[in-house]
Amino acid sequence: MPKLTIDGREVEVAARTNLIEAARAAGIAIPYFCYHPYMTVVGQCRICMVEIEGQPRLALGCATSATDGMVVKAETSERAKEAREAVMEFLLANHPLDCPVCDQAGECLLQDHSMREQRGTFTSHMAETRRTFPGYERRLLGPHIVQNQNRCIHCSRCIRFTSEISETAALTYKSRGNSMFIDTFSGEAFDDPMSACAADVCPVGALTVREFRFRKRAWKLRSTPSICPGCSIGCNIFIDHHEREVHRFTPRENPAINATWLCDYGRFLADSLNEQTYLYPQHRKAGRLVRAGWSEALAALALEVRAARPLRVVASANLSNEALFLARELFGHHLRGDLVVPVTTGEQRRMKNGRGEWLQATDPYPNSLGARRLGLNVVDGDGLSRFLYGGSGLTLILDAEAHPFLAGAEALQLLRVGATAVWLRREHPLAGVAGWLLPAASLASDEGTFTASTGAVQHFAAAFSPPGTVRRMPTGAMSPECPTIASPWGPPGEARPLWLVLTALARELGASNLDLASPAEVFTLMARTERAFAGLEWEPLGGLQRDESLRERQHVG
Amino acid sequence: MTTCPLVVAPPETTANVTFDKTMDDRIGEVMRRYPTRRAALLPVLWLCQERFGWISPGVISAVAERLGDSPAFVDGVVSFYTMYHTSPPARYVLQVCTTLSCSVCGGRELVEHLKAKLGVGFGEKTPDGSFQLVGVQCLGACGNAPVIQVNDDYYENLTPQRLDAMLDELREGR
Ligand code: SF4
Ligand code: SF4
Ligand code: FES
Ligand code: FES
Repeated sequence: MPKLTIDGREVEVAARTNLIEAARAAGIAIPYFCYHPYMTVVGQCRICMVEIEGQPRLALGCATSATDGMVVKAETSERAKEAREAVMEFLLANHPLDCPVCDQAGECLLQDHSMREQRGTFTSHMAETRRTFPGYERRLLGPHIVQNQNRCIHCSRCIRFTSEISETAALTYKSRGNSMFIDTFSGEAFDDPMSACAADVCPVGALTVREFRFRKRAWKLRSTPSICPGCSIGCNIFIDHHEREVHRFTPRENPAINATWLCDYGRFLADSLNEQTYLYPQHRKAGRLVRAGWSEALAALALEVRAARPLRVVASANLSNEALFLARELFGHHLRGDLVVPVTTGEQRRMKNGRGEWLQATDPYPNSLGARRLGLNVVDGDGLSRFLYGGSGLTLILDAEAHPFLAGAEALQLLRVGATAVWLRREHPLAGVAGWLLPAASLASDEGTFTASTGAVQHFAAAFSPPGTVRRMPTGAMSPECPTIASPWGPPGEARPLWLVLTALARELGASNLDLASPAEVFTLMARTERAFAGLEWEPLGGLQRDESLRERQHVG
Repeated sequence: MTTCPLVVAPPETTANVTFDKTMDDRIGEVMRRYPTRRAALLPVLWLCQERFGWISPGVISAVAERLGDSPAFVDGVVSFYTMYHTSPPARYVLQVCTTLSCSVCGGRELVEHLKAKLGVGFGEKTPDGSFQLVGVQCLGACGNAPVIQVNDDYYENLTPQRLDAMLDELREGR
């Protein structure tokens, strides 16, 4: 373990750590453009230069390993600053400097560095006109990537991403020198399954994500740590949102699962979180749906579930461990109902972790392992149809999207017979047969944990409160539902996360042990009573929060 | 000595390339000389240029497959080097040196002369497909400036008159 001094601060780091990471560990930020912690070091951009005592030449922070006793001057070195200034002059000589209309502004390493290091002496000697790439300013490189070659600083991160991480090697430099540009083979579309990561790693606005371009300025977004709902791999994400609208998912670093990557499928689920067709509990009376309040709905449901013979509950592998645990305790143990978790096989998803290994999944749910570990009865489509077969009684469907079978004619036929209560958020055929329609909140307004296929129990936080909840404003004012569209209090509605509904129902039913106030309390109870959660604590599951670590801010974006 | 004209394989052959036995053996032989497959890329591309006359996207795919690299990577390499033709070349590629020694010894006049005579600019081909004009950097024969490389042969100590004679000779040689 080499011990070295950087700008007067002593740090001890693992062998073979480079100076950028060593400095980071000491709380010092050495700038970089081409370096990326999960890709090969190429030492191409030269912005990371530092001074090392005893060495006449400046050294590259990214390509120099820390050694014992090294004395480094990074941010305090006048020589390094001067050299970096020269590098910046070269990089900016041909850079369009169109930050006001560039969608990367606000999360651009080049812009950040200019702002941070700008000094009075900074000038450009460029007298010629700028090099441009006519026709390559707004080029669709693939379905999700828009290229503006004028902004490229030739760091090769995008190329290395495709050759080292996604392994399609679909991107390359074409031509050379001043006219070098990024391209695919012979005009093919860049449709790598992880293509949007190329825009993530691009330090500037040369590659941007088509779906996100010009939707929101980066500095307006708030980032909430969450988990991708797309498959059982459980990639760590940030939900980037503004005024109760989800604008995108970005990767959140987790070396064991997704390093700093996301697959396109998962990433572009972001928009689906904004779909909220059902806003109020509704009850079918004489064939027509009538709006009801939650108190009315809960009281009526409590009566119905208590009387139900039999009580059948279809849970879902899309639900959090907390919601599944509450459902099992309440419907299974307290009311002696039958509960199943239907699962199906989906498309194959792949993800590269920080050690360069592929994780694979054909399990399209974020929490089927959680359901199994809670000892729930996990069934396939046939099992589900057998479960729904026969008999009246009451069927609760805790998530209309739990299984495609539920949207099919057969299921609707089976469910028409008895009484059914369905939790749902978006248009779904079940809405046509359900006696009770209960509005569910999206992942963005829910909180809890999922168990990933690796066995990791991972926490997702609520990005914003569900529609219609009263939120305390910074001024201390309170407001109830407010129908204005852009209201800071959010749209009206009463969709609620399932854990909240289940604890309220537990209260109605007198199951006082389940009358808990937060997912954290449910988790704590689970950790006490469930073997699969033994020893886990809620607090440390939070994971990385944005702003917490410089490293993360610098290379995601 | 007359320079041999370049022969370009017909479009059907360069669109979808499969290497025949002879080509495959020659490629295999080149590959054996290098420690990694990627290292053999440049000479293999030369072989292909010899065989097909130019490096078409079809050639790139075939080479990429043979060497186990991605077509994008091979494409990038091809585009880096100006001596690989990425479109079918003319029968005679006139590579006029535009660097200092040649320029001061009459190279500029040669360029003007050629442009006027052939009616094409740098990078262009005459409509009949005989000549293609290319400006290049120092050919390493400054002692005999000005120099034009035609296909693989050097023509040195040129004057507009000698150039005319040379072009006529090449035309007839076809
Ligand atoms: S497009 Fe972006 S990531 Fe790729 S080389 Fe240019 S600046 Fe780097
Ligand atoms: S691999 Fe799975 S968890 Fe990861 S981003 Fe894709 S869908 Fe989401
Ligand atoms: S980060 Fe070190 S050279 Fe680019
Ligand atoms: S300058 Fe023309 S050959 Fe050297």
